[in-house]
Amino acid sequence: MKSSVLKVSHLAKKIKKLQIIHDVSFDIREGEILGFLGPNGSGKTTTLRMIVGLSKPTGGDVTICGHSLKTDYVKAMSNVGCIIEGPDLYGYMSGYKNLELLANMSEGVTKQDIDDAVTLVGMEKRIHDKVDVYSMGMKQRVGLAQALIHKPRLLILDEPTNGLDPQGIHEFREIVKKLARETGISVLVSSHLISEVQLMCDRVSIINKGRIIKNASVEELVSTGQVVWTVDQPLKAQTFLKERFALDTVLEHQTLTALVGVDRLPGINRTLVEEGFKITYVDNKKQTLENLFLSLTDNKSIQ
Amino acid sequence: MYKKIIWPVIVLIASLLALIFLSGFVYSVFITTGDDELPVDEQAVPTDDTTEEPIAGMPEEAIGERSVIDPNPEEWETVLVMGDSLGSGVGDEDGLGFDQRYLELLSQDDSLERELTNISVPGFVSSQLADQLDTGEYDLDIETADLILISIGGNDLNRLYFQDNETMIAEFDETLSAFLSNLESVLTTIRSLNPEAQLALIGLYDPYNLEDQEINRLLLEWNHASRLAASADARLAYIPTYEAFQYHLADYLSDDLFHPNGAGYQTIAESLYQVLN
Amino acid sequence: MTALTRNELLKMLLKKKMLLILFFLLIFVSLFSYGQQYAYERNLEQFEAETGEELPDWRDLADRRLDDLESRRANESIPENVRTSFDREIQQLTYFIENDINPITPTAFSFNTEFAEQGIVLFIPLLVIILAADLVSGEFSNRTVKILLTRAVPRWKILLSKFLALFMMTTILVFLVAVLSTLVSFLFFGEWGINEPVLTGFTLSEGTLMSDSTILISRWRYTILIYSLVWFVSIVIASITLMVSVLVDSSSSAIGILMAALIGGQFLQFFLADWELVQYFFVTNLDLPRYLTGSFQPVEGMTLTFSILTLAVWAVLSLIIGFVQFSRRDVLV
Repeated sequence: MKSSVLKVSHLAKKIKKLQIIHDVSFDIREGEILGFLGPNGSGKTTTLRMIVGLSKPTGGDVTICGHSLKTDYVKAMSNVGCIIEGPDLYGYMSGYKNLELLANMSEGVTKQDIDDAVTLVGMEKRIHDKVDVYSMGMKQRVGLAQALIHKPRLLILDEPTNGLDPQGIHEFREIVKKLARETGISVLVSSHLISEVQLMCDRVSIINKGRIIKNASVEELVSTGQVVWTVDQPLKAQTFLKERFALDTVLEHQTLTALVGVDRLPGINRTLVEEGFKITYVDNKKQTLENLFLSLTDNKSIQ
Repeated sequence: MYKKIIWPVIVLIASLLALIFLSGFVYSVFITTGDDELPVDEQAVPTDDTTEEPIAGMPEEAIGERSVIDPNPEEWETVLVMGDSLGSGVGDEDGLGFDQRYLELLSQDDSLERELTNISVPGFVSSQLADQLDTGEYDLDIETADLILISIGGNDLNRLYFQDNETMIAEFDETLSAFLSNLESVLTTIRSLNPEAQLALIGLYDPYNLEDQEINRLLLEWNHASRLAASADARLAYIPTYEAFQYHLADYLSDDLFHPNGAGYQTIAESLYQVLN
Repeated sequence: MTALTRNELLKMLLKKKMLLILFFLLIFVSLFSYGQQYAYERNLEQFEAETGEELPDWRDLADRRLDDLESRRANESIPENVRTSFDREIQQLTYFIENDINPITPTAFSFNTEFAEQGIVLFIPLLVIILAADLVSGEFSNRTVKILLTRAVPRWKILLSKFLALFMMTTILVFLVAVLSTLVSFLFFGEWGINEPVLTGFTLSEGTLMSDSTILISRWRYTILIYSLVWFVSIVIASITLMVSVLVDSSSSAIGILMAALIGGQFLQFFLADWELVQYFFVTNLDLPRYLTGSFQPVEGMTLTFSILTLAVWAVLSLIIGFVQFSRRDVLV
């Protein structure tokens, strides 16, 4: 098993007697993209702020690449690059100057590293313009470059697609995925958008009201073990499946849904075809994160 | 560009300037702190000088001649002047001051050679005069003097003018009573050394000719208190100047608009003559 | 640390604050020197109009004063320390007479010190405040503090680098005030007056200003002394401003708070001079040059050493509070 790049254990935060974060624990392994999912105000950003040292936890600890944030701040932080709540840069200088400035703050960042980061985010053409004239998408790219210049092993992105147009969201997502694939960097990305997490992440931690309510792989969360058939004679098929395979199916608009192990599916399908049913569609029924999320968070609306 | 040229230049300039400023700063502290070496050096030398000079420079006739002092001006051989800038004649174009001018008036009556000693120090306030006498350096001068002219108090009072009205009135009583006790100390010192000499205290005039009734009242009160203090000693004459100057300020004041000019000093000398002779 | 300080200095330069400040300075210095030139000429005219005669030749006055001083100096009963103070005044007058300079003519080098004396309580601190107020609060209001504080650098180093950059810029600013006020006023007066002798070094003894320890130094040296004090005051103001900048979230509230403190402090000094605590307020102690010129004390018994110590305590406390607060503070922007 790969080592943990980030280990968050029993993190807690209390502000003025109000417990905002309760005992949050999770970890990220090398090369993994972890989605941090929760509705607005659930404590996502607060947790991320504590992970990157912007605010101090009142309990628990964060360990980055084996270095505790409490006792070994500098070493821990040298492995982190982040964008917290929007890519805020110095507007009165160029994107490149911003990067140079921030590169100066880390040991051993060369000009080549800066150029590489710029190339990676595809900002070569406009990097010498003033940040003030950038579009949101360009800022987000420079923001990402800023988080990467010192070659961190952990990238933390807080709501990275907020304020981007669909095209921008797509591009940004591709950059991050490519990055994780090619450099093996671990990514922690928070979002209140299920689709985004689903498209980018390997695993997901769901947070609500300051508590982690589920840690799982995206596959785990998504697969329900149910199979959906769309057949021409659903009523007849329902009876047939009941008699032949002892399957309890639910009939809903021409589709039948049943809890079936994937291993039994080929046999069942063949039999159905042999009996003369016309199957137009068979699929493992995927549970959308929306549904899951709603069930986990007391059906509270998330958007 | 920035990293290679501007930055090092700024650091260099800033450090250089900081160094200059720091040394200037230390120097400023140094020269304004009274008990540091520099001023002490300067003051250490003078005390030696001042103790020696009057004794060395003391005329030989000083000793022995203080038997009976006659009230007659004809017999005033040794005259001592003490006090502030008025005593030393600041502002007099001819550099005479009221003391020499008075002696000139006296010399019209007789042909006596008179010895004049002036120990006035410009800027003196009453406490400084008292201190000056307490040092004992001038005991000999006082003992041998037949006539002692005192001009003091102007600087005490003048300090109050620079304050605003409220504080001035508040501090006036304090200043006046301090002045009176200093004056008493001065007179006691003189009398303990020389019970016989004729003394004269020069009153204050108003150099500003202020229309402020309140301030005028305070000046008169001051003069009145001085006059009362003077009346305690039968051989202490109070020489009023207020009235004489009041209507002739332009004629009697020197260019600094504070000290009298020659004519002003002449007036004081004439007042002295009128009162004493 | 060098790299961090270099960064902070670059930020200060790129924000072009210095240009704004120089612009302000230029306007004020020009107005002030014009005003002085105007007042000087008006005074001469007025004197002639009132007295109906030519202004008495200053040389006559100086000569007379010189004679007076010399005759008094010759008086044997004058204490030696008083005599040396006469000597210094004689020396000063002789210089003016020999070099044919009217002592009351305004010159560039007398102007620059006067500008510093006038500006040290409000105008120069204001410039420093403009320079320093947004150093930290600006990072918060632009929210760039997030990228600054998520680097592998402890927070105290970041604030220290800001302080060092500010220290350098403040030092240069004070220098520029001196240079600009000298150059601009030269354009008005046409006289440098660089070597004129100045009397300074008054000491305070038992509440009275003593002139016996005074020394005579040339104008340019005196200018350096005055600006050294201005520099010290500016560094103190910079430290206090940095603290305020850490404590508040926006540069405008930082500027507001400090301006209120400066102006309020003047009022306090004016109306509550008897209140003992007033002398421990930093604003009351800003006017350090008055100790060199030997003018009246705002509150009785205050000395240069006292004022410097008070200011230093303010600066150190401000820095401590600033550093502690900056290290502890949760960044929530």
